[in-house]
Amino acid sequence: MNKNKIAIVLGIVCTILTIAIVIQINTIKRTSSTVSGSSSELKDEVLKWKEKYDNAAINLENAKEELSNIRESSSKNDETASAKEREITLNNNLLGFTNLEGKGIELTVKDDPNAKSENIAPYDDISLHIVHDGDLRSIVNELKNAGAEAISINEQRIVTTTAITCIGNVIKINDEKVSSPFIIKAIGFPESLESALNRGGGYLERLNEAGIETTIKKLNKVQITKYNGVINSKYMKNIQ
Amino acid sequence: MKRDKITITIVIGLVCTILVAVMLAQFRTIEETDIIGIETSREEELRTMIASWKTRYEETEEQLQETDQKINEYKDKAISNDETKALLEEELNKTNMLVGKTNVTGEGVIITLTNNEYSEIEYTDLIALVNELKLAGAEAISINDNRIINMTDIVNVNSSTILVNEERIISPYVVKAIGNQKYLSSALSLKNSGYIDKYTSWGKTISMEEGKNIKIYAYNQEGKKGSMEFKYAKEVE
Repeated sequence: MNKNKIAIVLGIVCTILTIAIVIQINTIKRTSSTVSGSSSELKDEVLKWKEKYDNAAINLENAKEELSNIRESSSKNDETASAKEREITLNNNLLGFTNLEGKGIELTVKDDPNAKSENIAPYDDISLHIVHDGDLRSIVNELKNAGAEAISINEQRIVTTTAITCIGNVIKINDEKVSSPFIIKAIGFPESLESALNRGGGYLERLNEAGIETTIKKLNKVQITKYNGVINSKYMKNIQ
Repeated sequence: MKRDKITITIVIGLVCTILVAVMLAQFRTIEETDIIGIETSREEELRTMIASWKTRYEETEEQLQETDQKINEYKDKAISNDETKALLEEELNKTNMLVGKTNVTGEGVIITLTNNEYSEIEYTDLIALVNELKLAGAEAISINDNRIINMTDIVNVNSSTILVNEERIISPYVVKAIGNQKYLSSALSLKNSGYIDKYTSWGKTISMEEGKNIKIYAYNQEGKKGSMEFKYAKEVE
């Protein structure tokens, strides 16, 4: 009699506990599987649009080249026409749509290699030892002031619509992620470009004081690659 | 009999303890990981990436169609000199506009920054604003009617004078930008993190108005060396 009672109670307790565990396992499975399922779908979609963009960018590059060839060949027999053609080509060079080469400098800017949380004194701030978007904007501005004709940072061409920003701790140029070491190329008179950056109290001195490493090379040949994006004119119109 | 009872009780006790322990462990893991929270933030990031690639694809595709159309026009029409010249003229006007050689008009915003008793506007404030405007898709920008072109520099002469394109300007600084009016104004006036809130909280005087027909003047090439031509750079393949 007593044994039976115990067995029934035991059975009920075990069943309830087992059911509870099964329910828990099921909920965990369901939530995690649906979430990761939809996020892998999203990843696929990111890749799909990136691939579509990559293809369109290649097609655009080819089309631009064909256009520039046909423009040149159809204007070569006429002096005013070929003058116009040369002006269009110059504009496209200025806009950053072509690869350029010339004298200039190559500047490398690198986060302080000792900037790790275990090395930083308690009163120090680790963010002082890494390169920020504002530093890159200032360097670009200094180079423009020193007469740079074309600039790129980690192969991202600086064009009229280029923004250099920081979201979280990711620096973006032309909406592309870039990170330290930053290789900044500029075409222009090498001595002016170098002295603008290197002068006492100049921008590089300030960075160096914070442990950020910089090196400048003056070069006879700097190659700067073209901008692959689009410069929009949806909202502005020419007026006389 | 008595021994049997004790064994059974011990077994029951053990089973119960194990089951309860398993359940507790499960509850804890669920609480700690907060799976849904992590996944939704990643999802949001992925959605932003999709939107960004999609926009870039659409812009590139549009430009591609425009370029293909130009190619065909040259192929079909550029038989006589006059027609060739007309096509060239059209392309020249478009690229002149993008470079900043023409006066342009369109919708956008006008931001005015003024020195006040406690705080002066610095050149770095203007560099940061120009950067924000570019990020928000501005197509043309000027400061006190000095057109911002690709190689425009903004530097200080002294605390109250700033140089833009080698021209001296002083407060009030009137920054005009043409682009999507809603997009430009909402990007600048984001609560707390937007340019206007941020710089106002630092004691700067800034105001913004929207406009349908903002006029931005061409880059003034007179008396300026370089900027619109190359001395050192050459095109290569």
